[in-house]
Amino acid sequence: MNALSCYHCGDEVIGKGYYIEEKAFCCNGCKTVYQLLKDNNLGAFYSLEANAGVKPNVSSIHKFAFLEVKSIRDKFIDFEDDQTARTTLFLPQIHCSSCIYLLENLAKIEPNILSCQVNFTKREAVIIFKKEAFTLGQLAVLLDKIGYAPNFGNRSETEKKFDNTYLYKLGVAGFAFGSIMLWSFPEYLGLGTDNPEFRNFTSYLSFAISIPVILYSANDYFISAYKALRFKSLNLDVPITIGIIALYLQSTYSIFAGNGPGYMDSFAGFIFFLLIGKWFQNKTYKTLSFERDYTSYFPVAVTRIVHKTEEITEIENLKINDHILVRNEEVIPCDSILLSDSAKIDYSFVTGESKPINKFKGDFIYAGGKLIGQRIELKVEKESSRSHLTQLWNDVKTDKKNPTSFLYQDKLSAYFLTIILLIALGSGIAWSFIDPTRITQIIVSILIVACPCALALSAPFTFGNVMRLLGRKGLYLKNTRVIETINHITDIVFDKTGTLTKGSSHNVEYIGDELNHDQLEALYSLSNSSTHPLSRSIVRFLRAQNISSNEEITGFDEVSGKGISGTINSLNIKIGNPSFCEQKSIDKNETSSFILINNSTKGRFVYTSELREGISELMTSLHKYTLHVLSGDKDRDKSILEAIFPNNSQLLFEQTPKDKHEYIEKLKNKGKYVLMVGDGLNDAGALGIADVGIAVSEDVFRFTPSSDAIIEANKLSQLANLLSISNFSKTVLKICLLFSVSYNVVGLSFAISGNLTPLVAAILMPISSITIVLLSTLLVRFKK
Amino acid sequence: MGIIYLMLIVSLVIALIFLVSFFWATKNGQFDDDYTPSVRILFEDELNQKSNNQTDGSSEV
Repeated sequence: MNALSCYHCGDEVIGKGYYIEEKAFCCNGCKTVYQLLKDNNLGAFYSLEANAGVKPNVSSIHKFAFLEVKSIRDKFIDFEDDQTARTTLFLPQIHCSSCIYLLENLAKIEPNILSCQVNFTKREAVIIFKKEAFTLGQLAVLLDKIGYAPNFGNRSETEKKFDNTYLYKLGVAGFAFGSIMLWSFPEYLGLGTDNPEFRNFTSYLSFAISIPVILYSANDYFISAYKALRFKSLNLDVPITIGIIALYLQSTYSIFAGNGPGYMDSFAGFIFFLLIGKWFQNKTYKTLSFERDYTSYFPVAVTRIVHKTEEITEIENLKINDHILVRNEEVIPCDSILLSDSAKIDYSFVTGESKPINKFKGDFIYAGGKLIGQRIELKVEKESSRSHLTQLWNDVKTDKKNPTSFLYQDKLSAYFLTIILLIALGSGIAWSFIDPTRITQIIVSILIVACPCALALSAPFTFGNVMRLLGRKGLYLKNTRVIETINHITDIVFDKTGTLTKGSSHNVEYIGDELNHDQLEALYSLSNSSTHPLSRSIVRFLRAQNISSNEEITGFDEVSGKGISGTINSLNIKIGNPSFCEQKSIDKNETSSFILINNSTKGRFVYTSELREGISELMTSLHKYTLHVLSGDKDRDKSILEAIFPNNSQLLFEQTPKDKHEYIEKLKNKGKYVLMVGDGLNDAGALGIADVGIAVSEDVFRFTPSSDAIIEANKLSQLANLLSISNFSKTVLKICLLFSVSYNVVGLSFAISGNLTPLVAAILMPISSITIVLLSTLLVRFKK
Repeated sequence: MGIIYLMLIVSLVIALIFLVSFFWATKNGQFDDDYTPSVRILFEDELNQKSNNQTDGSSEV
C-alpha cells in the first residue's frame, strides 16, 4: 500500500483526506493554509521545498487572549509610534527556506502587517504592523493558523549579547595579531637589529596594541583559571593562563629593557586562535535552542473569575483560593481543586499515561495536565512556582551532578602542569651551573613554549566537529560535555512507550466473527468520522485490506473516551470499549475496541503497540552495554521485548515516573554511568538524573525540559552507531594530544637549550595550532 | 626612513578602520543570521519578476 502524503505538511493522509484539485491534505488545517497561500499568490511556498508546511493547530481565539491585557502585550512590543508597532516573536516551528518565504510574505495575507523579517538562526521574526486595525493577539492567531504558533515563554535576554562578545574579542585579537606581524616583519628576516630606533618604536607600538588583547580578549581564560584555583582544582585554562602570563610578561620586559619586540605577535596570535576555537564550538550548537523550559509550555496568562466577571491575569499573580477558568486544550497552571462537575485531563506530560483521567467535582488536580473537553472552573490550591510539576523539574536541575570530576582534559592538565613545573625546575637547576644569569629567561621560555595551545584547541575542534556530524545524523547534543560523558556510559535505560514503540500508531488485530464487505465498509466510514487515535488505527488497518468507503452516516454519536456509534445503510454500528458496548472485558491487560452490529457482538479490535523499525538490530549492536527497560504500561508487551533484548537485560513494568527516577538513582549509586533514552515528556525526572538523558522526538522542535540531547525518532535505530561516533572523539583527541606533545617536546628542547628566539616561537606556535585544527577536522570527516 | 613610519601609521589607521567597521557590523546584527539573507535574495528576484510580468500584461491590455 502506498500511503498518500499531505501536500502541505507531508504527513500520511489517513482516511479519505481532504482534497483541492488533485492535492491531498491530511487535515482541514493543512487544506486551509494551502487555500490561504494560493489565494494570496504564495504558491511558490511549495516549489521551494516539498511538503514544507507545518501542520497547524486548532487555534482558538482564547489561546492568545492574554495578549489583549496591556501589561502583558507591552512586554512583547519592542517599539511603537502613533500608527505602527514592532514586535519580535519566537517561532520555534521555523525550519526551512519555505518557512522564510511564507513568513516574509505575511503582508500579502494580512494587509495590516507592514513587514516581517525572519532570523532563521534564532527562529525569530520581527513584525511591524498597524496597531490601530490589528492587535498582537490577532497576529498571534494568524501565525498559529498557518502553523507557526508564537512562543511567548520567557526567553533569556543574555543570549545575543554573549554571542557578540565573542566576535568583539575575536576582532580585537585579530587586529592586534595582524598589525604586530606586519611591523615585526624585519624581525623575521633577521633585520631587527639593523635599525634600533625603528625597532624600539615598533616594540612600543606592539606593547600598546597588546594591552586590549590581554585585558579584554583573554579575560575569559583568567577568570576560568581563577575560578578553578579557588575551588582547588585544575582545568586546562590554568596552564594556558600561566603560559599567556609568562609570554606577556617576558615580552613586556624585553620591550622595556630595549631587547626587541619579544613574543607579542605569538601572544596575540595565540589568543586569536584560541578564540576562533571557542567561537566555532559556540556556533555549532547555537542553532539548537534548549532554552525552552517548562515556563514556555505553561500558559503565560490565565482567566481568573473575580466577582463573576472574567479577567485575564499572569500566572505569577494567582493567589491561593482564586477561581480560574481553563478551556479545552489548555494546561492546568497550578495545583487546584475542581469546581465543575467533571473533567477529563491528559497527564501524558507528567505521568506518561496516554489515556486521559476522569476527575470529578472536589477532586485535587495537579498542574501540568492538559484539559480535554469542556471548560472547567478550578480553585487554586498552590501558587504556580511551588506546584507539583515545577518541583519535580526543579529538583532535577539541582540534582544533576556536575560531571566535571572526570573531565578528560582537566585530569590531563593536572599531569601536564606537574610535568612542566618539574621540567622548569630541573632546567633552572641545570642552568644555575651553566650560566646563572640566564635562569629566569630559560624558565620563562619553558613556560611559554609549553603552553598547551594545541591541546587547548584540539578539544573544542574535535568536539565541535563531532557535534556537527551527530547533528547531521539526527542526534542533537546540548553541549560538548555530553560527548565526554557518553564515553563513560555503562548502562542504557529505555523507556517503552514513545521510545521503543511508536508514539501514536498501533498494530491492530481483529478477533471475532468474519465480517462481510458491506460491514467492513460501514466500519470504515464510522471510524473515519472520528479523530481518536484508535479510530485512526482502525482506518489504517482496514485500508490495508483495500477497504474504503464514503457512505453517509446517520445518527453519528461520539462518546468521548468510550466509543462511537452510527447507522450506515441500515447497519447500526457501535465501536468502543467494553462498557460502551455492554460487554465484559476479556483481558484486562489488553487495549481493545468491541464491535456491535445491529446490537449483536461481532468481535473486537485488539491493539498492540508497534516497535520502531530497527529496534531489535539496535539491541544486538548495543551488546557492550547493560540494557534496561522501564515501562509505565502494563506488561502486555513483555514477550515482545524479551525476544529482542539480551538475556541479562532488566525489564520492569508499571513504573511510575518516581520509580524510574529512583531506579536510575540506584544504578548511579552502584557506580554505573547511565544513559537514559525516553520521550522527554513523561520521564523528565529520569532523563534529568541520568548521566546522559536523550529525548526521542518526532520533531526536533519539541519541548524537552531536562534532556542532554535530542534524537530524531526515526534515527533511534542508529543509536549504537551514534554512540560509537561519540566514542571516536576520544581517539581523535588522543591523536591530537600526541601531536601537541611532540610539538611541545621540540619547543621545550629549544627552550631548555636557551635557543628559543622570537622567530622560533612565532613559527612553532601557529603551526602547532593550525595542524591540530586540521587534524581534528579531517579525522572526524574521515570517520563519516 | 621617515616614509616607513608614515606607512606604518597609515597601515595601522587602515587596520583600525576595519576593526571599527567590524564592530559596527557586529553591533548591527550583520553576523546574527547567516542563513536567511542568502535565501531571501532569491525570493526578491522571484517576486519582482512576477510583478514585472503583471505590469507587462496590463500594458498589453
